[in-house]
Amino acid sequence: MVSLLERISNPIFNKPNMNLFVNGTERVVTGVWEEETLLSVLREYFGLIGTRFGCGKGLCGSCTVHVDGEPVRSCITPVNNIAGTSVLTIEGLQQDNEKLHPLQQAWIDERVPQCGYCHSGQIMQAWGLLSKTRNPTEEQINTFMDSILCRCGTYDRIKKAILRAAVMLQQSSDTNA
Amino acid sequence: MPDLSRRSFLKATAWIAGGITIAFSARLIKEKSVSVGPTLEFPNAESGKGWLQVRSDGKVHMLCPRMEMGQNANTGLAQIVAEELNIRVQDITLHYPTTSETAPIGFTAGSLSMMLFSKPVAIAAASMRENLRCRAAKINKISVDEVIDTEGGFVILGSPRIGYQDLVTDESIELDFENSVIPTLYTFDPRRIKKQVGQEAEPRGIKDLVTGAPVFSGDIQLPGMLYGRVIKPPVRKARLKNLNFSTVQNIIGFFDIVRDGDFVGVVCRTPGSLDKAVRSVIIEWELPEPINQEKINQLLDINVALQRGDLPSTLQDENHNPSANWDVDLEFAVQLQTHAMQEPRAAVAHIEKINDIERINIWTGTQDPWAIKRHCADDIGFREDQVEVHPMRMGGGFGGREHYEVEQDAARLALATGLPIKVQWTREDEFRVARNRSPSSHRMRLACDHKGVLSNWWHAYASGYVFYSRSRLPDWLLPFKRSTAGGDFGVSRGAHPAYKSPSIRVEYKEVDLPIDLGVWRSLNGAPNTFVIESTMDELARQKSIDPVRFKLMNIPDSMARLGNCLKRVETMANRNPLPAKSGYGRGFACGVYEKNSFVAVSVDLHIDHEARKICIDRMCCAQDVGMAINPDQLRAQIESNLVWSIGMALMEKVEIGDGQIASNNFHNYMIPRMSDMPSLDIDIIDNPIIHPSGAGEVALIAGSPAIANAIRDATGLRLTRLPIKYTDITALGSL
Ligand code: FES
Ligand code: FES
Repeated sequence: MVSLLERISNPIFNKPNMNLFVNGTERVVTGVWEEETLLSVLREYFGLIGTRFGCGKGLCGSCTVHVDGEPVRSCITPVNNIAGTSVLTIEGLQQDNEKLHPLQQAWIDERVPQCGYCHSGQIMQAWGLLSKTRNPTEEQINTFMDSILCRCGTYDRIKKAILRAAVMLQQSSDTNA
Repeated sequence: MPDLSRRSFLKATAWIAGGITIAFSARLIKEKSVSVGPTLEFPNAESGKGWLQVRSDGKVHMLCPRMEMGQNANTGLAQIVAEELNIRVQDITLHYPTTSETAPIGFTAGSLSMMLFSKPVAIAAASMRENLRCRAAKINKISVDEVIDTEGGFVILGSPRIGYQDLVTDESIELDFENSVIPTLYTFDPRRIKKQVGQEAEPRGIKDLVTGAPVFSGDIQLPGMLYGRVIKPPVRKARLKNLNFSTVQNIIGFFDIVRDGDFVGVVCRTPGSLDKAVRSVIIEWELPEPINQEKINQLLDINVALQRGDLPSTLQDENHNPSANWDVDLEFAVQLQTHAMQEPRAAVAHIEKINDIERINIWTGTQDPWAIKRHCADDIGFREDQVEVHPMRMGGGFGGREHYEVEQDAARLALATGLPIKVQWTREDEFRVARNRSPSSHRMRLACDHKGVLSNWWHAYASGYVFYSRSRLPDWLLPFKRSTAGGDFGVSRGAHPAYKSPSIRVEYKEVDLPIDLGVWRSLNGAPNTFVIESTMDELARQKSIDPVRFKLMNIPDSMARLGNCLKRVETMANRNPLPAKSGYGRGFACGVYEKNSFVAVSVDLHIDHEARKICIDRMCCAQDVGMAINPDQLRAQIESNLVWSIGMALMEKVEIGDGQIASNNFHNYMIPRMSDMPSLDIDIIDNPIIHPSGAGEVALIAGSPAIANAIRDATGLRLTRLPIKYTDITALGSL
């Protein structure tokens, strides 16, 4: 078996580093981690464990984060494909220390989570919808959210929470205007 | 034997540092723990001591006796404590103990939490309150009756309010009340206007879940931690035939391979290199028996069993007449289903040496941490006091997390490498390793008189084992359990008729299937209720009687709560008329789960020929589980169960290929999605004088037959093989 030392001195570990902007902060990915998926880098390298692993094949959406403003499945996104991009995770959603993001607050108000495992992905996908479509119809919600699985079956409340967050966002933009 | 007495536990932790600590009631079941089975120490004299505490600042602390997987049982228990102590539930601090911090607590399963824990918790909290009241009386030199409740303390006429903090000092006091009189329990007092119990309470820890805080076992990070995986065979007890790992060393990030008999584990420095390394290992297994769908169908063929008289277990047998004039005679096939909890299991294990003594710490989401502790000690040759299990939140359980498994992978790899190891099962591992809900095959016959009064009932079925499946028990124990336990009650769950009939026979055969089976939400409650409620519906329709009237007519007085649910759900359904178009249908079903939980469901659906889909438009549910401690969370459990019933009726099936379980991820095991959701109308029938019963797996039993009955209503077709597909309808040539 290869010794730890040998592996550490392997030239592959000494490649030039790649950068990512994660939740607004520049982060560097080095060595063997450059060969990983975005999910693996977020969770195990940066310690941003809010993004969850559900299937590893792009099928469940638990790992959804935003890359340059678009929801993507981090489990099938090789990190070296997205060098230099901006990544937003559930940990970065809350802008204001005092106040949760409207979607997070709506999730609490509607008491959405059961086991809670899918909800980082659900919320990030929902933000993918609301950040562009401020007043989604139920139909639009169904279509946009359909690929994010929740085994506990909290879909009814997810829908209600998205509608509630849409109203909250509307209200806050009204007061800002 | 390590000293597991409560005193040593309480001393070992800082828990009783100051203030008054109270034990849970001693007036409950005392059961021995079975070393290979689950932890059965439900609240009793020795377990759960010191779960409740009022500290010198007057604040109430509670150790959570339940493992969380989304059912929010601890929130409900905290509501009870709050009610008894006249405080607000959000003011209670909850603590989640490790296995070294309390004596063993019974495993979390079977929707038993409220049933078994609500009263002991209420007694403990009420005893605490009465003790505090005595103190107040003593200090003020008045009689106890003059000390009146108020929020967070007491009042005495003409004196300032006394808060709990005024009655507790830094001195550490432990109250024992094993032989004292049970005080008034506010929770169970029907005349009391309750402030906490029966109210909506925010689930504890919900903020962590929406902000992505570390709460699951896979979220644990330890310095120097490596990533491990054990290569899983298609079924348990398979033997390793061939192993070739000659190329694994070329994988960048590879660290070690651990081989011990049939155990093959790989350890790498990153999750991605682990995936690659595992893929590079070539491995072949020898199965104890070949597996494929055909073989399983043969083993389960109910008609063969009936012909041979091979149905060894009889659940009910009264005036049976096999040659009765049967009005309906149907055969059913229920599919193999899996838990597919959203979080594939994960565990982190770390062995450290303190004062020359090795100790292993395991972080895992499990329904039974004390079983994990026992089994781990046994597995790696440690004493039990060298093992500490840190229970983490489960990303779904549904009966699939009771055994020492992913923890074993992590513990063995940590032992072999001497390093902290994280094992995150892949989704494919989860599908391969799951102990699934058995398929079953049924034949059900019914007869009634011209008015619709049931005269004859005959339900015969064959199912794989649930509790005594070969994957759940060691070989030496299996034959003993199977022959002496008086039937596998997982197999018979839900098969008791809720209706009255002068002639009844319910018989079944437990089959030793060559696949891994086990405990799934409701056990066989959902399959059996599906069969019964489909057949009852069919009989009503053939006799041209309204199915709801027909069922109400045959529900005995002793099942009045079931009848109530059915009537209630009919009223709810009728609020929205069914479109008078072809292809639209409405169905009803009801059921009893574990004697004390009653439910009825209605389904409105239509067949969408353009989308080639069965579309569920609306589901109503009325449920009575006695006292509703947290109505919002009861509603959440019903929602979840209704979604599961859609999966069971229309989608889910674990496919079996040649020599393997073929379903391995969400592309070939379909579960409900948002677009499958109907509108929901849910009614909780609160019965405040009835002790709360389980709610976690109730509505599921009535949901899937209500769907099948609605399809019958819409198409005229009685579909009896689950899951029902759109193509089943077109194949049988409806409309
Ligand atoms: S974990 Fe990425 S889609 Fe399932
Ligand atoms: S809440 Fe459990 S998977 Fe969505």
